[in-house]
Amino acid sequence: MSRVGVFVCHCGENIARNVKVQEVVESSRDIPGTVVTADYPYLCSAPGQQMVIDAIEEHDLDRVVVAACSPQLHEPTFRAAAAQAGLNPHLCEMANIREHCSWVHRDAEQASAKAYQTVVAAVERVKRSRPLDPIEVPVTKRALVIGAGVAGIRSALDMANAGHSVVLVERQPSIGGNMSRLSETFPTLDCSQCILTPLMVQVSRHPNIELLTYSEIEEVSGYVGNFKVRIRRKPSFVVAEDCTACGDCAEVCPQPSGNEFDMALSSRKAIYIPFPQAVPSVYTLDPDRCLNSKLDSPTGFRVLACVKCDEVCKPQCIDFDMQPEFIEREVGVIVAATGFDMKLGQQAAECGYGKHVDVMDGLEFERMLSASGPTEGEVRRPSDGKTPKDVVFIQCVGSRNPEHGVSYCSRICCMYTAKHALLLRHKVPESRAYIFYMDIRAGGKGYEEFVHRAMEEERVMYIRGRPSQIIEEEGKLKVLGVDTLSGRTVEIDADMVVLAAAMEPADHGEIAGKLRIAADTDGFFKEAHPKLRPVETLTAGIFLAGTAQAPKDIPDTVSQASAAASKGMEMLSKDFLERDPSTAHVDESACAGCFECLAVCPYGAIERKQLLDAQGEVFREVAAPNPAMCEGCGLCTVTCRGGYIDLEGYTDEQVFAQLGALGALREVIER
Amino acid sequence: MTEANVTAAKSEAGAVPENWKPHIVALVCNWCSYAGADMAGTTRREYPANVRMMRFPCTGRMSPLMILRAFEQGADGVLVSGCHPGDCHYVQGNLVARRRFTIFRSLMDFIGVDLKRLHFAWVSAAEGHKWAKVVSEVTTSVQEAGPLPSFEHPEGWGGIDLPEMTGSGPQELDEQRLDAIRANLRKAASEVLTTERAGVVIGYGSGSLPDQTHPVLITKTAECEKLEWGQGCRNNLGAYVGSALEKHERVAVVAKTCDLGAISGLIREGQLRRDQLLVIGVQCPGVRDGSGLATKCLSCSGDPHPICDLVVTVEGVQESCEDPSAAALDTPDARDEQIAYLESLPHEERWQYWQRQFGRCLRCYACRAACPLCYCSTCITDKHRPQWVPTSIDHPGNSTWNIIRAVHLAGRCTGCDECARVCPADIRLDLINRKLSLEVERQYGKIGLDPEEKSALVDFRMEDSEEFIL
Ligand SMILES: Cc1cc2nc3c(=O)[nH]c(=O)nc-3n(C[C@H](O)[C@H](O)[C@H](O)COP(=O)(O)OP(=O)(O)OC[C@H]3O[C@@H](n4cnc5c(N)ncnc54)[C@H](O)[C@@H]3O)c2cc1C
Ligand code: SF4
Ligand code: SF4
Ligand code: SF4
Ligand code: SF4
Repeated sequence: MSRVGVFVCHCGENIARNVKVQEVVESSRDIPGTVVTADYPYLCSAPGQQMVIDAIEEHDLDRVVVAACSPQLHEPTFRAAAAQAGLNPHLCEMANIREHCSWVHRDAEQASAKAYQTVVAAVERVKRSRPLDPIEVPVTKRALVIGAGVAGIRSALDMANAGHSVVLVERQPSIGGNMSRLSETFPTLDCSQCILTPLMVQVSRHPNIELLTYSEIEEVSGYVGNFKVRIRRKPSFVVAEDCTACGDCAEVCPQPSGNEFDMALSSRKAIYIPFPQAVPSVYTLDPDRCLNSKLDSPTGFRVLACVKCDEVCKPQCIDFDMQPEFIEREVGVIVAATGFDMKLGQQAAECGYGKHVDVMDGLEFERMLSASGPTEGEVRRPSDGKTPKDVVFIQCVGSRNPEHGVSYCSRICCMYTAKHALLLRHKVPESRAYIFYMDIRAGGKGYEEFVHRAMEEERVMYIRGRPSQIIEEEGKLKVLGVDTLSGRTVEIDADMVVLAAAMEPADHGEIAGKLRIAADTDGFFKEAHPKLRPVETLTAGIFLAGTAQAPKDIPDTVSQASAAASKGMEMLSKDFLERDPSTAHVDESACAGCFECLAVCPYGAIERKQLLDAQGEVFREVAAPNPAMCEGCGLCTVTCRGGYIDLEGYTDEQVFAQLGALGALREVIER
Repeated sequence: MTEANVTAAKSEAGAVPENWKPHIVALVCNWCSYAGADMAGTTRREYPANVRMMRFPCTGRMSPLMILRAFEQGADGVLVSGCHPGDCHYVQGNLVARRRFTIFRSLMDFIGVDLKRLHFAWVSAAEGHKWAKVVSEVTTSVQEAGPLPSFEHPEGWGGIDLPEMTGSGPQELDEQRLDAIRANLRKAASEVLTTERAGVVIGYGSGSLPDQTHPVLITKTAECEKLEWGQGCRNNLGAYVGSALEKHERVAVVAKTCDLGAISGLIREGQLRRDQLLVIGVQCPGVRDGSGLATKCLSCSGDPHPICDLVVTVEGVQESCEDPSAAALDTPDARDEQIAYLESLPHEERWQYWQRQFGRCLRCYACRAACPLCYCSTCITDKHRPQWVPTSIDHPGNSTWNIIRAVHLAGRCTGCDECARVCPADIRLDLINRKLSLEVERQYGKIGLDPEEKSALVDFRMEDSEEFIL
């Protein structure tokens, strides 16, 4: 028989005002198994906790029920107190008689009856609780960072500088991400390349970082502390170790192609380096553009259509037969930093994007402004190469537009548009800049001042409203709209239009699926808690950094990247991780091996286990939840028809007993 | 049942006491709804005190058995509440649960539980106001429904005359053509054994009475002459494959069209391996049940199905290798009219109808033994810690048993009707099974024959319908 102690809290007047505490205490005495009952004005106070601890020792209690506030608030407090008295913390249960009772029911009779019944259910439940110990999981001391934009770079460097080994995987030939495309950055206008390139070089030289560019994640298995990752390194057809980046190959290559890095505003060859400061500094052969197309389908002996690059390459590093390489790594934690893309949807099309070459998006304009860009930093109309005079910038293209775009605010467009206008005015002093905006959101250090600088010093014209029409007329783009502040119609004959298009996540479910982490309705990776756990995911050991989680600017990206790194290091610094023991258990002797449980488990925590007979032969396969991966949702338990899976902490017996207690008490209500 | 009878039935349950207050049990998830209720407390939103809360990690942990148990224990109403789709702490727990609840709720409705007593809601951690509102609404609704009707089974056998079931049935086969099929079947079986495509053929042998057969396991070619074929071949032989596999590497099984679903289900659920199995589909004349054709045969063509390895017809034996994903069960069924009729009745009448039916249950578990998909080593009814299903032949255990059996077969039952055929109490298990199959099909698409497909109730889609969820 259990020895349960029931402790009822007054919470000052908060509970006692509506719940007759004395009555609850007295009736609880008769609950089978209860050996001591007591009440106290504030159980969570130090003397209150001490009272519980003393009672456990004095009455040799083996179970405790604390009837007080929500377990979400004080369960840890009282479990710790129980542990202090030598009781397993899981043998302490709370009955919520404040949030769910005294605060919401004014009628004292009813509230007291409910409080009592809640206590009975808690007693019946705790009597069936089992002592549980945290699950210990060993930790592989290596981190994986996916995506090497500024977020991934910062995370990798932080962890590597702290002495942890890091595998950094980037799918493009060079690291740097979108930031390496930017010209100058708001609000300080320092040149993006100048601040990013040193970091990129650090990455490539860091003894603790293994950099795998032009590589993609194939498969991720395992669990916190013990992930197994399979990485596919795409063939670059250039032996990276030998390439000196002399560029002789590109010189002779006859096959041109648009350079993605410059948003196709410039061209490259089939064999190329995306930009001069690329890290690693090696050439890559684009098999889709090379005359020897379908390079990666090995058919043995082949006649090559063109071998010009191979002929000129002095170190002889062209290898037309290079195959994808599969690399397997074990890691303890993962940082997902896959970044963003520009979303050019319906609204951009309505503004003429894709129809008029002189309508461009923000990133294209960044390339144009960049000293290393296709125009070497000069602003030129793409259609005729002339210097534009009137440039219209349109904010919120696709953003904040649930019908034709995305419902969220992309957060950075107000700022970079101000920057664009300002840089335009710097570069073309006789130009005029007009900005159509909905609101100006300049919430950041020095941001408001920056916008004012654009408005006042550079006399950028801000027009509140969305343009209604853009028509091409005599080589100009006529932008029509209404200034909703003055109510006046506006008509601008623009030479160029720049769209601040919405940011969208670069990952479309692929990485999220492989990592088994959630994405929100817009596709951004979902954090475990928007305020309290903003860089964690609900899958233990996987963290988020940068614009893959939500639109943000560089300062926020970098802060989040460092936060993710520190969360990762928190785990990597331990030899063992402790996990909540509320996990699923299978009765192997009964399991029929239907594996429907495996099909529903959101974490892939259920493994197939082979049962061997005396001869060592497999005679049955049964389900075996891995306690290191199980998050304790209980989905599998209900899936198992025979009831062979149970969930610690919420066992069938506990639930059954609680239901019994809640039902049987009907008499109490009617009493 | 006439109007007067309904009123009589209602008053039979006893007048509702004047100050009667409903008793409601709420199963809530820890992360959203429990916290939402906390929020209602923090913001002091008053709501009726009738509701008793139980905390779960996730709606995915809440089993229909728990809802039933709450009713058994005297709850007049049950509220199930969890996170909004997309907000689940465990990503998809509520989405899988939503399917379970949808199907369970439609079953409860079908057996006459007043849906005013059973509610589902999504309440987030921020929605204290919604929690208070939901509890108030649910309390009013259960108040209207009144005390839970007794599980005591009303006296009497049937109670309701259901519309007659009609259908043309399979193509008629005279004795001569049946002889031809038999000869072809025996030929096919002996060839299977001689070529060692399988070590044993499971088929039908003649029984002691005319028109009766029993399963036979044939391992020698000479014994193939024992193989019978005709309207007496009732059993679903798929249920015998498992034990035959203990002795033989590969087993051939004779199958009617209606047996194939179960075979494919067993493969899907890892109980059989396709490569251990050789399915011999035979052109079927329909089977007899008492005086006439069995119900399931009324809407069946009798043609062997394309997922068979060998197909035996009057004409001969063919190899078949069609794509199983193309095959799906036939939709129309002779029972559908009866189901529609029952559904057109007031729920009190349905409740009485089914309580009468369940009242007859002997708990012999013949239904379970006959069901090819009831392969659990220990059935949930035999589980003692805790004993979810009361074992005595009494209310409300009988209802719980019949409901749970149906829930376990939802999305899996392939309509072979074996359970209803063997039930000594003539309980219309086939109607319940069919009702749930229809519901699963309506909500989540056809239950196919492809063993590679996931079954509907372990799957989910974000956009699954949820119009009943508050
Ligand atoms: C036009 C424009 C102007 C801007 N101007 C400024 C400014 O002036 N100041 C400022 O603070 N911010 C500015 N920003 C915002 C800034 O660009 C971002 O905050 C920053 O680049 C985000 O970095 P990130 O690492 O999160 O993403 P990204 O830079 O997108 O990096 C993600 C990386 O992950 C890689 N990747 C993606 N998927 C995979 C995969 N499956 N496997 C492997 N690798 C993958 C990508 O190739 C990429 O290298 C601007 C943005 C735009 C669009
Ligand atoms: S659902 Fe149950 S019977 Fe099926 S594999 Fe899982 S534990 Fe075993
Ligand atoms: S409780 Fe949830 S996480 Fe754990 S094994 Fe079962 S389904 Fe998977
Ligand atoms: S066969 Fe009929 S009587 Fe027997 S347990 Fe099943 S439903 Fe009850
Ligand atoms: S009724 Fe359910 S638990 Fe029992 S044998 Fe059938 S499927 Fe298994």
